[in-house]
Amino acid sequence: MGAVTCLMVTVVGLNAIAAAAGLALSAVAIWVAVDGYKLYPISGVSGKDDIFAGAWIAIFTGFAFFLTCIFGIFAALKRSRALMLVYLIIMFIIFLFESASAITSATNRDYLVGNSNLVKKQMLQYYADSSTQGQQITMTWNNVMTQVQCCGADGPTDWIQYNSTYRQLFGAASLWPLGCCKRQSSNFEVVDPIGCKAGVTSSMFTQGCFQYIESVLSRYTWAVSWYGFSVLMLVFFTLVIAMIYYTQLP
Amino acid sequence: MNTHNAIRLVSLLSIWMLAAQGQIFQPQLAPANFLGRITSNTVILQQPYCVFTQTCPGCEIWLVAALSTGTGNFNALVNISSPISLSVSPYPTAFLPSSAQFFLTRVGPLANFPCNTAPAFPYFTVGADGICTGINCNGVLPVGSIVSFRYLLIDPSNYTVVNMTNWGGPFNLTTLLSYQTINDGLSARSGAMVVITTLLCVAGALLLLVFFIMLCVSCCGKKDGKTVTVMSSIRIPRYDTHNLKEHVHPYDNQAYEPDAKNYSTSQTLPKSPVRK
Repeated sequence: MGAVTCLMVTVVGLNAIAAAAGLALSAVAIWVAVDGYKLYPISGVSGKDDIFAGAWIAIFTGFAFFLTCIFGIFAALKRSRALMLVYLIIMFIIFLFESASAITSATNRDYLVGNSNLVKKQMLQYYADSSTQGQQITMTWNNVMTQVQCCGADGPTDWIQYNSTYRQLFGAASLWPLGCCKRQSSNFEVVDPIGCKAGVTSSMFTQGCFQYIESVLSRYTWAVSWYGFSVLMLVFFTLVIAMIYYTQLP
Repeated sequence: MNTHNAIRLVSLLSIWMLAAQGQIFQPQLAPANFLGRITSNTVILQQPYCVFTQTCPGCEIWLVAALSTGTGNFNALVNISSPISLSVSPYPTAFLPSSAQFFLTRVGPLANFPCNTAPAFPYFTVGADGICTGINCNGVLPVGSIVSFRYLLIDPSNYTVVNMTNWGGPFNLTTLLSYQTINDGLSARSGAMVVITTLLCVAGALLLLVFFIMLCVSCCGKKDGKTVTVMSSIRIPRYDTHNLKEHVHPYDNQAYEPDAKNYSTSQTLPKSPVRK
């Protein structure tokens, strides 16, 4: 009886930890889904928004892990084979869904920010466009350029090398959007409009925005996929020990 | 020391005097920290400050922007002190295949470019007017072409060229790529994605396998069964169902008589002493 009791205690302990981890996964996935950095349009317009789809799945699977692990604690304490079998089946199903979420987020991140091409092409195509997607992309890029103090995907030369919707519409007035120009901190006016229009490097932002966008989207992805992966590894060991416990029950 | 200084001074003076006549000056690009100094259809040049220093009241500085064949055409048409017609190659038709491949545009009056001022932004954008229709408007250059420039000092009263600089350039304009040419497909799979996918798939498969093994073991495999716990014999209160005489106890099991003390309580003992 001693070995079975030891197993039971292990199962109960691991389930408690897994319940807490599942709840934390749910919370982290809520953070990703809320998108505090407001970069969703970049993935939404491109049609590759599975980072956020994975986050939504993780919200539900994290909470499901929490509930099922509490049920597992109850089943282990009851020393009931039927309840343990139900627990194992439910946990396995949630395991599959959560691994789908983690794999999907990691894969989609490679499509979006593996290199700067997709972000650059989207910017050239949709910035200053009057369609719904164009408005979203324009607003997103204006926010990014102002907050991060950057211009273009790899740099301002993106606007010179490639044709773009912005160039077709406003190219005669200015080579790049006004968001690329340095602004005074006091009244937010452009420091040197003529210099910025000519491209003087001291009057405008010369670094590209892609690094920031990539870091934010990677942060979201690692939150969902790496943390989900670690929760799943914990659940894997919990389930293996729970199965051993099941075989020892009368 | 004195001779060195004197030689330096004389050489400086001579260069300045030659430059003042516009002989060795070429129109130059804005410095390299101007990211937009050459685009696909505009160029930013330095303005001609202190280039033409002869006194010429009312004279104006003009710019010639020419493709490679246009330079030859212009040289054939115009020389110093020769008359010039400002509409000799109007901008809207200047770059058609049969045209002269150059156009003229006004930079400003000579009085705006004296020697002793240091302007804040001494740069002139060729193409600043965009696609325009005036004869001498500052229109955009052909996309991706190779252009050269020349400053002219023109006397507008009699339309003669007072002075010219040399040809500056040729400058290669950047060819404009379409954004459709950017390949936004999958570049490469990151290592993290491969690790996560393989480990999770392996873990899921292992779980399924162990689950089935567990079911097999618990349902089918009872080879070394557990020892069945058997309870020892129960002593029950003895009931006489037959109307027998007192000293006959047919239900007593003689084999268990030695155990009577160990396993019997007063309630289970027969009511009368066990016959030995």
